[in-house]
Amino acid sequence: MNMIDVRVAAVEQVTPLIKHFKFVKEDGSQLPPFSGGSHIVVAMDAEGRTYRNPYSLMGSPTDTDAYHISVRRQENSRGGSAYMHENVRVGMTLKITHPVNLFTLAKMAHKHVLIAGGIGITPFMSQIEDLNRIGADYELHYAFRSYKQAAFVEELQKACGNKLHCHSDSDGHRLDMEALLRSQPLGTHVYVCGPSPMVVAVLETAKNLGWPDSNVHNEQFLAPPVGETFKVQLAQSNIEVQVPAEMSMLEAIEAAGVQADYLCRGGVCGRCELSVLECDGGLEHNDHFLTESEKASCSKIMPCVSRTKGKRLVLDL
Amino acid sequence: MERGYWIKSKPVYTSLVWHEKATSHLVLAAGIGGMAALKLFQQMHPAQPVTVLYAKYAQMEVDYSATLKKIVPDNLHVFKFEEDLLTELKSIMPHMRMGLRIYVAGSEGFIWDVAKVVKPFGVENDHIMKELTDTLARSVYCVHCKAITRNVTTNIVQCCGCERMLFVRDHFSRNLGAYMGLMVDAESPGELPAIEEIYP
Repeated sequence: MNMIDVRVAAVEQVTPLIKHFKFVKEDGSQLPPFSGGSHIVVAMDAEGRTYRNPYSLMGSPTDTDAYHISVRRQENSRGGSAYMHENVRVGMTLKITHPVNLFTLAKMAHKHVLIAGGIGITPFMSQIEDLNRIGADYELHYAFRSYKQAAFVEELQKACGNKLHCHSDSDGHRLDMEALLRSQPLGTHVYVCGPSPMVVAVLETAKNLGWPDSNVHNEQFLAPPVGETFKVQLAQSNIEVQVPAEMSMLEAIEAAGVQADYLCRGGVCGRCELSVLECDGGLEHNDHFLTESEKASCSKIMPCVSRTKGKRLVLDL
Repeated sequence: MERGYWIKSKPVYTSLVWHEKATSHLVLAAGIGGMAALKLFQQMHPAQPVTVLYAKYAQMEVDYSATLKKIVPDNLHVFKFEEDLLTELKSIMPHMRMGLRIYVAGSEGFIWDVAKVVKPFGVENDHIMKELTDTLARSVYCVHCKAITRNVTTNIVQCCGCERMLFVRDHFSRNLGAYMGLMVDAESPGELPAIEEIYP
C-alpha cells in the first residue's frame, strides 16, 4: 500500500489516558485533503513486528498542513496504543495511509444528531468543521465518565456553542437515547461512535422507534481480539503462516511477506475479505461487515479481526 | 408489451402491512385505495397513533368513507379530491417526527404525487409503503418535448404536448412519477404497431 511519510510535530497529553499527535509531511509538502469522518492507518514498527491501527482524523478538513489524531491508551492494549503512548516522540517519523472515509455525513440530511462516547469524539471533531462550514443543523451529544477524563470539551464548546450537549456519568447526566431519538424532526440522520454498548443502544433505539436504516450511521473500529494460535495455509502463495495468539491473521500474513488488501483494519470496511477454502474448526467472525448468512456459510473471512476456532485454515490468497 | 424482461426503475408495489416499529402512522388513500386502508385495519392495530387521510375518487364513483368512518378509531380526515388531501398533507408534514411510517394506496399518479409532497420533508420514497389500486394507467413523459400525458391505458399514446405517437416504456422516473415515452414511428412516419389497451 502506498504510504505517506510523516514527522511527529507535536505530542500533547490531553487527559491521563489520551494523547494528541500532530503529523506533518516529512518533505514539508501538503498532506492529501480529506472529508470529515475520515481515518488513517498508522504503521508502527515495534520490536520486530508492525502494528497498523486506524485513527480518525480530528483536525479541520480545510487544514492540509497537518493531520491530528488522538489515541486512548487501551487497558488491554495488544501493543499499538501503548506504543503510541510510550514510544512516539516529537521529531520521529512514521508511515501512514492516505485518508479513507467510512463515516461520511449524509449530504441530504435535514438535521444531524452526533452521539460520541469517550474517545469516539474524534471523527466528529472533523465532521463539525464541515457542518459549521455549510451551516447545517446539528446537535452533538458527548457522553463520558467524568469531566476529568473527557478530552477536548473546551475546543468543542468553542466550535459548537449551544449545539454541544455534555453527558457526564459521574454527574448523573446520562444520555436518554429514547427521548433524544423520539423527538427528532423528519429527515434527521443519527451518527454514533463510541464503546460497543453505546453503539448497540443507539442502533437498537433507532430501530425500535422506526427509523429507516439509511438514517442511522455508526463507526466502531474493533481491535483484533486475542485468541488461540493456529496455522493459515495461503493457497496461491503456497506458504503456511503461523498466527500467534496476540497477532491478527492479517498482521501474521503481512509479517510473512505476503501483500494483502486492507483499509480500516477494524472489521468495518470489507476491503480485506478473503475466501476460505478449507477450515477444520468453526470461524470466529468478529467483524461488522459480513451478513449473518455469510458468516454462517464459513466461506468468507475478514483477516483483520477474525480468527478460526480450529487449528488450520486454507485461504485463497 | 415485451415479455420476460425487467427494468430496474419500474416500481414494485406491495400490499399494505403495518410496521411494528414506529412512533406514528400516516395512511393516505384515494378512491379504491380506501379498500387497501380497510384491509390494513383488518390487521392488528398498531400501538402508536394512526392518522388516515382519504380522498373520495369522484371519477370512479367509489367511496369507502362511510365504512372507514366506522372502522378508523379517530383521526380520519375525508376529502373530496386528491388535491385537497395533498394540501392537507403538506400542512401536517412539518409537525411529524422521525419514526413516522407512511402508507399510500391509490393510483400510480396519486402514489407519486404523495412521494413528491413528502420528499422535501426528508422522507425518501423507499421508506413509503405503496399499494397500487384503482388502475394501471400510467403517466407518460415525452422524451422529445418533456410534456407529461396522464392516465395512459394503451401501449402507444399521442403526446399531449407535441402530438408525436409515443411508445410507453417500463423505464420509470421517481422524480417525475412517470414512464418514459418515445416516438414510435420516427424512422417510418405513420407506420404504427397496433394500439392496444394494456394498462386498464
